[in-house]
Amino acid sequence: MDDVIIMAILSVLGFVGYVVLCFAAKEPRHRLGNVLIAIYGLVLLTAIVSGLFVNWHIYFWWESLVAFSAIYGFAACVFLIYAAKGLRLWLPKEMDYYEKKEGARK
Amino acid sequence: MIGWLHPGLILIVGVLLVPLFRGKWKQAYLLVLPTMALIDVIFMYMGFFGDIPYSTWTLSFLGYEFVLGRVDKLSLIFGLLFTLAPLTLVIYSLHVKRDSEHMSELAYVGGALGVVFAGDLFALYIFWEIMAVASTLVVWHGRTDKARRAGFRYILWHILGGIILLAGIVMYVQSTGSSAFNALSWGAGIASLPSYLIFVGFIINAAVPPLHAWLPDAYPESTVTGTVYLSIFTTKTAVYVLARGFAGFEPLILIGALMTAYPIFYAVLENDLRKVLCYSLINQVGFMLCGIGIGTALAVNGAVSHAFANVFFEGLLFLCVGSVLFRTGTCKCTELGGLYKAMPLTCAFCFVGAASISAFPLFSGFVTKSMIISEAAYGHMGFVWVILMLASAGVFHHAGIKVPFFTFFGKDLGLKVRDPPINMILAMGIAAVLSITIGVYPHSLYQFLPYPVDFVPYTIPHVVSQLQLLLFASFAFFVLISTGLYPPEQNKINLDSDWPFRIFGGKFIWFCKQPLMDFASMLDGGLRKIASKSTLLAREMEERVFIGFSVLLALLFIALYLVVGWIHVWLTH
Repeated sequence: MDDVIIMAILSVLGFVGYVVLCFAAKEPRHRLGNVLIAIYGLVLLTAIVSGLFVNWHIYFWWESLVAFSAIYGFAACVFLIYAAKGLRLWLPKEMDYYEKKEGARK
Repeated sequence: MIGWLHPGLILIVGVLLVPLFRGKWKQAYLLVLPTMALIDVIFMYMGFFGDIPYSTWTLSFLGYEFVLGRVDKLSLIFGLLFTLAPLTLVIYSLHVKRDSEHMSELAYVGGALGVVFAGDLFALYIFWEIMAVASTLVVWHGRTDKARRAGFRYILWHILGGIILLAGIVMYVQSTGSSAFNALSWGAGIASLPSYLIFVGFIINAAVPPLHAWLPDAYPESTVTGTVYLSIFTTKTAVYVLARGFAGFEPLILIGALMTAYPIFYAVLENDLRKVLCYSLINQVGFMLCGIGIGTALAVNGAVSHAFANVFFEGLLFLCVGSVLFRTGTCKCTELGGLYKAMPLTCAFCFVGAASISAFPLFSGFVTKSMIISEAAYGHMGFVWVILMLASAGVFHHAGIKVPFFTFFGKDLGLKVRDPPINMILAMGIAAVLSITIGVYPHSLYQFLPYPVDFVPYTIPHVVSQLQLLLFASFAFFVLISTGLYPPEQNKINLDSDWPFRIFGGKFIWFCKQPLMDFASMLDGGLRKIASKSTLLAREMEERVFIGFSVLLALLFIALYLVVGWIHVWLTH
């Protein structure tokens, strides 16, 4: 039963952290911006600290690294955004790209 | 007395009567149709038509037995899904006045239900094509020039898929002598060609890259409600037929894993939120195909339950973006922002959908997707696991943060709007309640799955690792956006795998229209010139020959006369 309560608290905290991030991430800030950022920081800290006390089920060697999921999530997101930025070099075209291609030949 | 009532036929036949009703009666009738289909499926669960599984209802036509009603746990859960979802969507689209739009949407659902309950390959094919035609009509209801063009490209893809599927079915029936649709066999030799053709027909509908381009191309061109319908049925029927025919087909593991990764990059680039959700949809179907490829009871359960939950949370996101589009007239990141005060309910529902698709604990994605990822871990598929986790972080970035953030937060553009009408809010509410219910109480979904479930999603390691993954992915976004390093959204289109077809296809048509026709007319003109010249020449020649001949003849006569005269003179001497 204790496990259920811990999981429920962590889950709710996680969701709260996610929502306050959306409110406070960018200028113009919410008027409670700094408070929200503080809550967000506490949630991140809780996620890391609670991870130190968990008995992990290890299926792959890399899962035994400290806070592996956190590092992987951070790295994956940065990689994704920068890879997409790289793709911007040749994938995006003007909105009427295909129409122009057709129109030019008419 | 009919032994069994086909829920798909209720819809397909029922929509024909829609134009007979007016006003409130029409709305009531539109609600009655999916409700009847839903009650029909509930009756099947209750054993009203016989114990599950049973396969009874066949239709004889020209000496061939079409099995229209094969009912077991796998077809039933999709039957439940495909009647519960349209009921929600009919509520969402009650305000739509155009009959033809409702009719093509519900006929499309009927086709999907037909595929789900089809027990033989020809019946499956017929409903497959009904679905293709009806969904094209749904795209065309966008009623713009872009929608018309995208609809043509869409139907071309589906005609191609349909032909490959039909070829596979005919060859399969020819070689095995049976048209029953069960798990297909596959191997290395040419003998498995029919199975592979059927497989290709299926994965075109599942939008497996690089055969996916029709999806983000056509779906966002439909109406506010049409796009939501489209996002549900074609891809999920493909998941159903693959789960039925190809469970444990190993290439699907890799196909599914790559399918989760490919679209997340596009989703970051894309500015149109409905296109972002379309790429997100491809990513989600990738998780399902991966589960089907692994093929164990847990993995197939994971795929099926993820399909079920996805319809509601992905649908919920489409509903929210649709509501924003309905109110503001746009769904582009660059033209939206700061709507949380103006549309608070839509914003709240969007958070539920976004948290569910990102697999936050307590939301439905967490209890379904984790079955697939855990099974990849139990099977020690390191590479697949790494890709799936990357895709999980990716889906959180684009569907979890990008969609709510750029719509409801970020810069406030001061758009003067309010929440959508009550029917749309109600539909979003239903989807949100289902997403949370499944997340908090997984057994509510697990009991309907095709195999018995002994999977426990809520363990402390699992909850903590998932929270770490998601929260620190959000932290990366936070760092990049608050330092200004996050690349700004651009109002552009992004080239995808249909680029060669659209460019070279366009070039080919241009080639046929311009140079080929020019050449033909040149040839034509040239030949005509030669013909007329030769006639002229012949005529001229004719004259010359005639004159020449006459002169010759005259000379001959003169000569003859002279000769005869000379002989005469010579003889008379």
